[in-house]
Amino acid sequence: MRLGYLTAWLIIAMLGWLPALAQEAPYFVTYDHHLEEPGNLEIATSSTMGVPRSNQRFYFAPYAEFEYGVMGRWTSELYLEGQSTSGDSAVFTGWRWENRFRPLAREHFINPVLYVEYEGINEASRIQKEVVGNAPEFGEPNSELSQTHAHELETKLILSSNVHDWNIAENFIVEKNLSQNEGFEFGYALGFSRPLATLASSTNCRFCRENFIAGLELYGGLGSTQGFGLHDTAHYAAPVIAWQISDNASLRFSPAIGLTHESNPALLRFGYSYEVRGFGGKLAKLFGGKP
Amino acid sequence: MKRMLVLSALLGVMWCQNPSYEPDPGWRVPSEAAAKANPLAGKTALVGGGKKLFARNCVECHGEDGSGLEKKHSADLQLPAVQSQSDGALFWKITNGNPDRGMPSFSRLPELQRWQLVLYLRSLRTAPATLSESHDPPR
Repeated sequence: MRLGYLTAWLIIAMLGWLPALAQEAPYFVTYDHHLEEPGNLEIATSSTMGVPRSNQRFYFAPYAEFEYGVMGRWTSELYLEGQSTSGDSAVFTGWRWENRFRPLAREHFINPVLYVEYEGINEASRIQKEVVGNAPEFGEPNSELSQTHAHELETKLILSSNVHDWNIAENFIVEKNLSQNEGFEFGYALGFSRPLATLASSTNCRFCRENFIAGLELYGGLGSTQGFGLHDTAHYAAPVIAWQISDNASLRFSPAIGLTHESNPALLRFGYSYEVRGFGGKLAKLFGGKP
Repeated sequence: MKRMLVLSALLGVMWCQNPSYEPDPGWRVPSEAAAKANPLAGKTALVGGGKKLFARNCVECHGEDGSGLEKKHSADLQLPAVQSQSDGALFWKITNGNPDRGMPSFSRLPELQRWQLVLYLRSLRTAPATLSESHDPPR
């Protein structure tokens, strides 16, 4: 009971204490062309919950993200991820290091971003940050899956446009498992989103429509060089909504619906992110450098 | 005594400002973008929203009064070099940023909110303190 009060107090404190930035994209899988501001650090915690089919088990896969704006056109991000399966165990499933580069300085009708990620994960990974190749098997226990390590290199071509307050983003994914001979795996993600209001009110309101962005994501695998196509692949349609609860913090939610028999029937995703502005400068100052 | 106070206030402001600011000559606005008119021009009720957006997105580098911060090498938005630019030019600069010189792009903000920012920037050349009264915009 006391723990419940403490949790409620912490949530209220978190929502109320932080004064409401800039609108973050509501997507969980799709990337748009907006990078982290240089020197800012975004700390986020998200989770993917897989609703199982009759012969599968429910899983909960949380992950932490540390996104840093290295330069105006370069953002770097570290992920730490885990997974817990009902009736099985909880395991640490690895880490990822991603980098996004914007080759063009100005805004264009289509804005390309190049994405490179290295993954040191194991086969128990369930965060489904991207869906590539063929649908994964969920039958084996965590004790076995976590013993199979995968060093993967993932690249994405991100194309993103802002059209009349709509963001439209397309991601084309190529992934290579360096540990096994699986060929190159392919996937895609598409996203559309729009703020619910486009004018800012003068008051610091928390529940104004301007603080909400809604949209839709579509993502899935496209097989591999060993078998390209839609056969035996997972695909999802996912409404997304983001709430900018303060200048620095936002909440996101997305209930994804599996579109093929190989997909999970549903994926529920939650995310909370907090932005530390001027982190690089503060860190430099701490070590006696020039902010 | 009064003179001393005014002098100290002026010195204080100058210390915080970025007197060394020089506009980037390479940051050129295309002429058709500079010619765009602000669709919110004259809608003073929307300035309050622009002020809020400024506080959220711009104060960290440009300071509360927009006079720029020397340590951030950011523009003094009160200077004639900035204020003499057209609404369209300011809108283009907010939208595109100048990432190689530290100014991020704010294209993630809805278009009308970027125009609201331009509306507020115009008020910086006069008296920002008079903008404390705020009004809600029509939705």
